Amino acid sequence: MPALHAFANPARFLKIARPLTPVLFWAGAALALFGAYSGLVLTPPDYLQKETVRILYIHVPSAWLGMGAWSGIAISSLMYLVWRHPLSNLAARAIAPAGAVFAALCLITGSIWGRPTWGTWWEWDGRLTSMLLLFFVYIAYIALARADADRGGDGRVPALFGVAGSVLLPIIRYSVVWWNTLHQGQSIGLTSSTIDRSMIWPLFFTLGGFTLFFGGIVLMRMRAMLAAQKVEARMRRMAQ
Amino acid sequence: MAMKAKHQRLVLAALALVAVLGAAGLALSALKDQAAFFYAPGDLVGKPVPADKHVRLGGMVQKGSIQREADGVSIRFVVEDGVSTVPVTFRGVTPDLFKEDSGVVAEGRFAPDGSFIADNLLAKHDERYMPPQLSGNQHITQSLE
Amino acid sequence: MNHWAFVIAAYAVVLIGAGGLAVASYLAMRKAEAAADAMKGKK
Repeated sequence: MPALHAFANPARFLKIARPLTPVLFWAGAALALFGAYSGLVLTPPDYLQKETVRILYIHVPSAWLGMGAWSGIAISSLMYLVWRHPLSNLAARAIAPAGAVFAALCLITGSIWGRPTWGTWWEWDGRLTSMLLLFFVYIAYIALARADADRGGDGRVPALFGVAGSVLLPIIRYSVVWWNTLHQGQSIGLTSSTIDRSMIWPLFFTLGGFTLFFGGIVLMRMRAMLAAQKVEARMRRMAQ
Repeated sequence: MAMKAKHQRLVLAALALVAVLGAAGLALSALKDQAAFFYAPGDLVGKPVPADKHVRLGGMVQKGSIQREADGVSIRFVVEDGVSTVPVTFRGVTPDLFKEDSGVVAEGRFAPDGSFIADNLLAKHDERYMPPQLSGNQHITQSLE
Repeated sequence: MNHWAFVIAAYAVVLIGAGGLAVASYLAMRKAEAAADAMKGKK
């Protein structure tokens, strides 16, 4: 895989990452803010939930990123286990804290949405419980990766954990199908949606915006880790 | 030499993946019934839950079934899922979204006569979202607000 | 129940959470890259 090996070179990666970071970040922020504004002001209330439906425009992207980030970790971890790309180990560690934040935002916005609609801040149904589990798994991964790096480990154990944790993703996705849950079923499929056209469009802006924003954040974290590695390597050489 | 090692790692990674998925699959099938958040009326046909066991019953509030009792606080209604029905009594504050032809999850226990005595109600809504003018004549009927 | 209060609370949480993540990540990157650049000068 010659193309991928090119990106394994940190210098090449940084050459692309440096200009790309502000582009992703600001484009993402702009789209997300416009989507949020539209969702708050430009769309009608729901026939049943009235104004609380507006939380949809920020809850869904948070869930999407909370889960999508872990698939990023799983893929990077797999690449590290099989091809030993040094950058893929870094990518997984860079993604994790950001993914954890969005998983937490998903749970919090979901709870705030649940109180006036379902009548409860929290229930142990299949969807909510498995998503909470994913958040804990993020925390465990972050701790594991940190401990492994501090001890001079090669990153294989966290990578295995990164792959194994992905089993939660289909569980979260299908929880509302397999079991009776309080959480409603899927509203958006690849070809169709149960959200009316007059109400769905801000979601495309927040979904796209948050994703680009997330990309910018991950690049920032990877750049920080690469710079720290450079300093550490230089210190080690100077100490010899 | 490099090819062989990479091949080994690929096989190991694949084996780890299979093991994890297998374990998860086993755990899931063991969890199947316990993971349900509520019983639907149809689940109970021929398989009644013993009275006095604290459970949840979920389904749709049958149209026209909400009745306010004489004491002004208790209500009766019927939960249905297209397969079966269960009459429910409840005393307390209902959630904002509790209405006829809408979803509900009742927590409580079954009385010996097969009716359900609820001590808590949660509203459940489906995945459809639309503006009020598109909802037709749904929800113009009795609401408890 | 005032529904708008819940909506505003949710949007505020996301703004603070995402904003906080952005600030923390940016500051970490700036600090690390500044240290690496300083090293380059020293030899």
